[in-house]
Amino acid sequence: MLRVSGLHARVEEQEILRGVNLEVRAGEVHAVMGPNGSGKSTLAQVLAGREDYEVTAGSIELDGEDLQEMAPEERAHAGLFLAFQYPVEIPGVGNSYFLKAAVNATRKARGEQELDAMDFLQLLRQRAKLVDVDEALLRRPVNEGFSGGEKKRNEILQMAVLEPRLAVLDETDSGLDIDALKTVAAGVNALRNGDRAFVVITHYQRLLNYIVPDHVHVLQGGRIVRSGGSELAHELEEKGYAGLNGDSAGA
Amino acid sequence: MTAVTPTPTAQYLDLFARRGERSGEAAPVRLRRRQAIERFEAAGFPGRGDEEWRQTNIAPLLRSAVTEASREEVGARQARRFLYQGCDRLVFVNGRFAVELSSIPKEIAVSSLADLEATGGAADAVAEHLGATVDGRASCSADAVVHPFAALNTGLFEDGAAIVIPAGAAVERPLQVLWLSAPAAGAAADSLEVSFPRLLVVAGENSQASIIETFVAVNGAAGGYFVCPAAEFVCRAGSVLHHTRLQADASDAFHLGFQHTELERSAVFDSSSLTFGGGLVRNDAVALLDGEGAHCTLDGLYVVAGSQFVDNHMRVEHRQPHTTSHQLYKGVLDDRARSVFNGRIYVHKAAQKTDAKQTNRNLLLSRSALANSNPQLEIFADDVRCTHGSTIGRLDEDALFYLRARGLPREQAYGMLVYAFARELVEKTSFEPLRQDLEGRLRASLNGGPGGGEAA
Ligand SMILES: Nc1ncnc2c1ncn2[C@@H]1O[C@H](COP(=O)(O)OP(=O)(O)OP(=O)(O)O)[C@@H](O)[C@H]1O
Ligand SMILES: [Mg+2]
Repeated sequence: MLRVSGLHARVEEQEILRGVNLEVRAGEVHAVMGPNGSGKSTLAQVLAGREDYEVTAGSIELDGEDLQEMAPEERAHAGLFLAFQYPVEIPGVGNSYFLKAAVNATRKARGEQELDAMDFLQLLRQRAKLVDVDEALLRRPVNEGFSGGEKKRNEILQMAVLEPRLAVLDETDSGLDIDALKTVAAGVNALRNGDRAFVVITHYQRLLNYIVPDHVHVLQGGRIVRSGGSELAHELEEKGYAGLNGDSAGA
Repeated sequence: MTAVTPTPTAQYLDLFARRGERSGEAAPVRLRRRQAIERFEAAGFPGRGDEEWRQTNIAPLLRSAVTEASREEVGARQARRFLYQGCDRLVFVNGRFAVELSSIPKEIAVSSLADLEATGGAADAVAEHLGATVDGRASCSADAVVHPFAALNTGLFEDGAAIVIPAGAAVERPLQVLWLSAPAAGAAADSLEVSFPRLLVVAGENSQASIIETFVAVNGAAGGYFVCPAAEFVCRAGSVLHHTRLQADASDAFHLGFQHTELERSAVFDSSSLTFGGGLVRNDAVALLDGEGAHCTLDGLYVVAGSQFVDNHMRVEHRQPHTTSHQLYKGVLDDRARSVFNGRIYVHKAAQKTDAKQTNRNLLLSRSALANSNPQLEIFADDVRCTHGSTIGRLDEDALFYLRARGLPREQAYGMLVYAFARELVEKTSFEPLRQDLEGRLRASLNGGPGGGEAA
């Protein structure tokens, strides 16, 4: 489904991604871990089409299509979803209004019938329940004044409504209490099926108890330095990233 | 022989001379007209050296020859496009009352200024107030300057509306005053048709009413005209007056107007000014808080593109204790559009416990757009609360990316963010037809997305 090969990206002369290789097949969950500043969010943003980062080498394919040729919205229409590490506050734009516009823009781009107000509301209510988002949040401006946890839940709600094929979750577990963590995981697991895939960026093994990954990767210095099964996450929890140094760098 | 080009000032004096005396006009009004014209003649048009006009270049206006607005017949259907359901209305075409298009509410006294006898009701108010406040009362004593365009209007207005809301009346239906410009087709390209809309509103003690002014042009009118309006609001003790001023003139028209409000004890004046049209626009608004507990809100929005220029010049004077004023002006500027916001708050020594708040926020959508914001606080009382803030910024790129990452096409995301910036000013009114119209105009002016076709 997703194939990232030899990806190099930089911002303002500074090279951040230095040859990332990653292959994700339908039905899989991949966890990406790594120290602060190693380039995890950069990878996520580059996947979503953020123009601030310049891709200097390598390729990104989604279902065989070259993502780099596509605008951010086209990537979304193709089924890519990024849950932001820092969701943006958008004063003046209502949360449910925004979500309806997003759903219908995507449906329109795919040549599907747009949802009317009633059908959308039904969908929204159902998904809000699934990820335990208070309906009061739906009436407020997007993320404005939301608590850290509410913002993360709101990202998961958007994911549940948009039903992407590939979801990249950038530290969606940070700042969540244990109950919220469970609901977020439940939201992800409810969507999990043979056609979808997830890339879960996290610092904590904790989340991976609830969303059990098929593969775990360690990103360090802009490269994936180690890959393994879910046991790798446990190892990291014990030894830390320092314990990996020199281990199999350049993998 | 060489033709002598009249100076700009001489042209307008000539309009005055040609019009001659009017038989029916009340003596005080006739006197104020004459005084206004004399003041205008003495002062002339302001130049760039004039502090109040430093940032407003009126040279393009002065270069044009002017003629009196033509007597165009406007079909009811043309006017109807601009009229709201559910309100009463006074329609003026090129500054002249069109009685057949108007509906006058029973509980309000309304007079056409050109024919006070015929429509009656507000003649006394006209004699007492018309022109007395705009350029008669010296305010801010330090700088009691003649406003040149207010003086022009007083000297030259041909018609207009005087509206008196009786004491204690609670008028439910809003009253719309439609100022329709209909320049004659095929008018000389280098000459402007000029009209001088004039409005006087007296809100009686403890009355409540809502007035909507709409400045628009008939279909397809593109410039070739100059609107020079003046409006006076007298708000008696305890009255509540809502006022919306929508200006959607042709994008190369000249629109330079003046608005003056006087508030007595505990009166409330809540006014919004929305500028979408006009090539060279200047709105001067003065509010005098002249009684304890009086409150005024002067809000505004300007959404301009191309080479439009708009200058909002505000002056709020707190003259009595416990008076409050709020100003919120927002601007959206695209292409090479330019704006000036000049907000002066003047707190007299007697005006203790004044609470004044002023905010001007600008959103620049293109590299070539330019916004100027000049707050001026002059405070002579010691126990007051005055705040002001101004911002000039660009669209939030993070927000734009966030929306696009959720599937919204760039244009749509862009429009959504700009709309979000401006919406509080178009959604302020509770009168649904007006709200819908303003919302539609805002959305329409944002269509075409970034740069409106020009590089953002
Ligand atoms: N727009 C930018 N301008 C300058 N430097 C940037 C920019 N974006 C990222 N960087 C730098 O690139 C490096 C990688 O940042 P990134 O956000 O991808 O790290 P991360 O792995 O997500 O870290 P964390 O775990 O703290 O979220 C950091 O050193 C960061 O300062
Ligand atoms: Mg990060």
